[in-house]
Amino acid sequence: MSKQSNIRNFSIIAHIDHGKSTLADRLIQECGAVSERELGVQMMDTMDIEKERGITIKAQSVRLDYVKDGEHYILNLIDTPGHVDFSYEVSRSLASSDGALLIVDASQGVEAQTIANVYIALENDLELIPVINKIDLPAADPDRVKEEIEHTIGLDCTDALEVSAKSGIGVKELLDAIIKRIPAPEGDKNAPTKAIIYDSWFDNYLGALALVRVYDGQIHKGQEIYVMGTKKKHEVLNLMYPHPLALKKTKQIKTGEVGIVVLGLKNIGDVQVGDTITDNKNKTAHAIKGLEEVKSFVFAGLYPIETDKFEDLRDALDKLKLNDSSISYEPETSVALGFGFRVGFLGLLHMEVVKERLEREFGLDLIATAPTVTYRVEKTGGDILEIQNPSQLPPVNEIEKIMEPYVKATILTPTEFLGNVITLLNTKRAIQEKMDYLSVDRVLLEYSIPMNEIVMDFYDKLKSVTKGYASFDYDQSGYKEGDLVKLDVLVAGEVVDALSIIVPKQNAQSRGRDFVKAMKEIVPRQLFEVAIQASIGNKVIARETVKSMGKNVTAKCYGGDITRKRKLLEKQKAGKKRMKSIGRVQLPQEAFLTVLKLD
Amino acid sequence: MLIYLHIPFCDSKCYYCAFNSYVDKFDLKTKYMQAITKQLQFELSLFKPAKNSIKSLFIGGGTPSTVEAKLYERFFEILKPYLKKSAEITTEANPNSASLQWQQEMMALGVNRISFGVQSFDDKKLKFLGRNHNKKTALQAILNAKKAGFENISMDLIYGTAKDTKMLLLNDLKIVKSLPINHLSAYSLTIEKNTPFFQTPDVANDSLVLAKFFTKEIKNAGFPQYEISNFGSYQSIHNLGYWAQDDYMGVGSGAVGFLKDSRFYPCKNIEKYIQNPQNRQIENLSKEALHVESIFLGLRCKLGVKLANFNQKELEKINILLNSGKLRQLNDRIYNSDYFLSDEITLFITD
Ligand SMILES: Nc1nc2c(ncn2[C@@H]2O[C@H](COP(=O)(O)OP(=O)(O)OP(=O)(O)O)[C@@H](O)[C@H]2O)c(=O)[nH]1
Ligand SMILES: C[S@@+](CC[C@H](N)C(=O)[O-])C[C@H]1O[C@@H](n2cnc3c(N)ncnc32)[C@H](O)[C@@H]1O
Ligand code: SF4
Ligand SMILES: [Mg+2]
Repeated sequence: MSKQSNIRNFSIIAHIDHGKSTLADRLIQECGAVSERELGVQMMDTMDIEKERGITIKAQSVRLDYVKDGEHYILNLIDTPGHVDFSYEVSRSLASSDGALLIVDASQGVEAQTIANVYIALENDLELIPVINKIDLPAADPDRVKEEIEHTIGLDCTDALEVSAKSGIGVKELLDAIIKRIPAPEGDKNAPTKAIIYDSWFDNYLGALALVRVYDGQIHKGQEIYVMGTKKKHEVLNLMYPHPLALKKTKQIKTGEVGIVVLGLKNIGDVQVGDTITDNKNKTAHAIKGLEEVKSFVFAGLYPIETDKFEDLRDALDKLKLNDSSISYEPETSVALGFGFRVGFLGLLHMEVVKERLEREFGLDLIATAPTVTYRVEKTGGDILEIQNPSQLPPVNEIEKIMEPYVKATILTPTEFLGNVITLLNTKRAIQEKMDYLSVDRVLLEYSIPMNEIVMDFYDKLKSVTKGYASFDYDQSGYKEGDLVKLDVLVAGEVVDALSIIVPKQNAQSRGRDFVKAMKEIVPRQLFEVAIQASIGNKVIARETVKSMGKNVTAKCYGGDITRKRKLLEKQKAGKKRMKSIGRVQLPQEAFLTVLKLD
Repeated sequence: MLIYLHIPFCDSKCYYCAFNSYVDKFDLKTKYMQAITKQLQFELSLFKPAKNSIKSLFIGGGTPSTVEAKLYERFFEILKPYLKKSAEITTEANPNSASLQWQQEMMALGVNRISFGVQSFDDKKLKFLGRNHNKKTALQAILNAKKAGFENISMDLIYGTAKDTKMLLLNDLKIVKSLPINHLSAYSLTIEKNTPFFQTPDVANDSLVLAKFFTKEIKNAGFPQYEISNFGSYQSIHNLGYWAQDDYMGVGSGAVGFLKDSRFYPCKNIEKYIQNPQNRQIENLSKEALHVESIFLGLRCKLGVKLANFNQKELEKINILLNSGKLRQLNDRIYNSDYFLSDEITLFITD
């Protein structure tokens, strides 16, 4: 039916909020792949958490049919996230595409992730089509934006498209451009099956599912396939084409196409992202060069509030890992919190999202501890320790020096906020490396910043000092020595290991004071007065007291309706169950993230 | 054993009140008062009290004084043989409708205690609460009670409203002291769903300072505290029965009954209730639920809780509380030193 030369595989990439998902929805609609009833709902952002936050977290694939001049085309589109924490999703998507639409907001112009994502596309040697979106906005200035793209990225914009994903202007022309400019997939349909797994997830009914792009040969229902990395064979139970609302079954996935392979696997480790699928009897000679493994670099403890839920958490992490291969985790224990995991993330938003998904999708109640980075500690004996949990820091007298990771950060800001941004950076021990005026009113800054300073809430702070107009991207850039100490927090006289943080010595005093002050706001009054102290070594440097509670009772006439009174109490009890008991003190979940509240 | 009778009629609805009562169904009074006798007979067959055994009858509402005394006759006739000779028989009353004659007639039926819904003697506060009486009618009603021969007179006050000041509360207490009453209930305003106040929650003033001040002043005025909101040289047998988890029959639309490990809820809809007064919803109470209730009830009044009721884990918590002075122990019971913390202490113990 459809020819390989009529297939187009492409991703949509952009800075956050520039309209990728909206445009994807438009394209789906234009191709008639949704019913009348489904029009108007956000299709690409399928998870609740994406809908609520209005951002894309997971790349989402969809197969579309498009007929033009009597020719039948197949478009495999991947909508990608824009937030820096999820750039791994962009890499994976681009690795299985033949081209990409680079969306740029017609009023905002080039932003930090626009640049970062273009680099990923160029690494993959992809055809890039610049698309100026939101031209319906009064503040739209497509010509200025095109100039900016040419200046900062060096991408020719003579044939850039101008569209409004919202109103549909220019979308037809865009479809034509996709067909004309994005190359059809190469690949030998007579060669042995060769497909890459570029996403996978767990379905409660179907088991582990693999989303693949076929490079050579084809995959058909009933075929016995061989997964080259895990060296295991499986039978193909079913095949489907991806669609956010309605998966469509098919008998085969042909050369150059994408599709979902159902293997009925319970063992979720069997379909790893980046692995190659081939035919069991007629194997391909070389596996596809795997996707670069991402390494998480922000670490935090995740602990079930109910201590007997540790195994449930392990199971949930195993399943989530299938859908989000960028997380890493290892069991750890905390005196205060019991058994949990040290989980690695790609940023603070990623951490929030993972925690929320674990809670929602697996019915867990979790405590997250403060995010931290990997420190390299040289001990006096010469041993080198890598620590991802402040409580593991050896005693001061055993430490020769502590090395901390740095990032190279790129910040784009309107010039009017330049002062604010530099002031903020100065509080973060940041060192300026470059300052480039893109135009009279936009500046590009490059800074070297200790990673620890940006994993907390740098992004939020940056947004607030620039009214949301600055954008930010970063890359790891090696280790430097830091003058660092461990700050402990004592609650009712006991050190709570899960609250310890590593801070620069120069601001340890003020951090300690701010920390206990912030804790005081978070910890609710209890039956007993609670002392909250910060200490370095064994020296207390700050103290606050949460006064004891004065009243918790309803002094009311209940008569015989005692059940009513009991139910009110049970409600309060349920609220307390979400807190963590440390001795006789109950700490709310947020208390363990107090450090994020500090200035 | 105790018995509670609910009268679901009021002359007007106060802005804060969520009790089951209607202002527009007076035509059902006669039928209703017949229905309660039917339910009473049914309850007697179920609770099987011995003759002369019931310690207390409490007629509450709603407003019992909206129903003429004659309509209570049959109810009393049936119940009499089961009431102890010394039984406490209380009726609630609204200052407006509790005429001298009504009070005398109720007394003739056997009522020996009367409790007035006064709420305050401050006319502005009364208006604010949506009460239909004023200071003058309240004083008159109480003096009438004395005239009728009641020795046990009580009244309800509400505090914790936006209108409250130390001055206002002290003025109310000054009047209280001059009256022939031996019992006082002081309830802190609770904002209830489905009341006018629910729309304007800032009518409440949940100040701990004021609550503690008022409680202290009530005690100083000669009314020893025996529960978080109850005070008096006389202590109500009915109240104490509830808090000691005694069995109680609950008669009437909106009443609640309790027997061993079940609670009974007759129909709240008057029409449906009249059609079938024996129809009730039953709630089965788990051991755990009864245990928690015994704790919070005991800790909010002078009764305390028996130590033998607690398991090992709870006893450890209790030890912490005893050591820190939050609880006191006397013989085989523990007592709460600060009723205002009773819910928090219950949560701490049972967590
Ligand atoms: N006026 C106007 N608004 C648009 C247009 N396209 C998208 N938007 C709005 O821009 C906001 C962001 O759109 P999304 O499609 O969620 O952006 P995104 O690029 O997918 O965002 P992330 O996935 O979080 O990176 C939404 O409020 C859209 O309604 C457009 O053409 N015109
Ligand atoms: C069941 S009512 C009946 C009393 C009688 N109907 C009267 O008000 O005159 C008993 C007492 O409960 C108290 N009360 C009712 N609703 C309340 C609320 N929402 N908050 C605080 N106390 C309340 C009032 O003090 C009232 O007098
Ligand atoms: S407080 Fe008394 S009078 Fe007012 S509505 Fe409630 S029951 Fe009726
Ligand atoms: Mg999106």
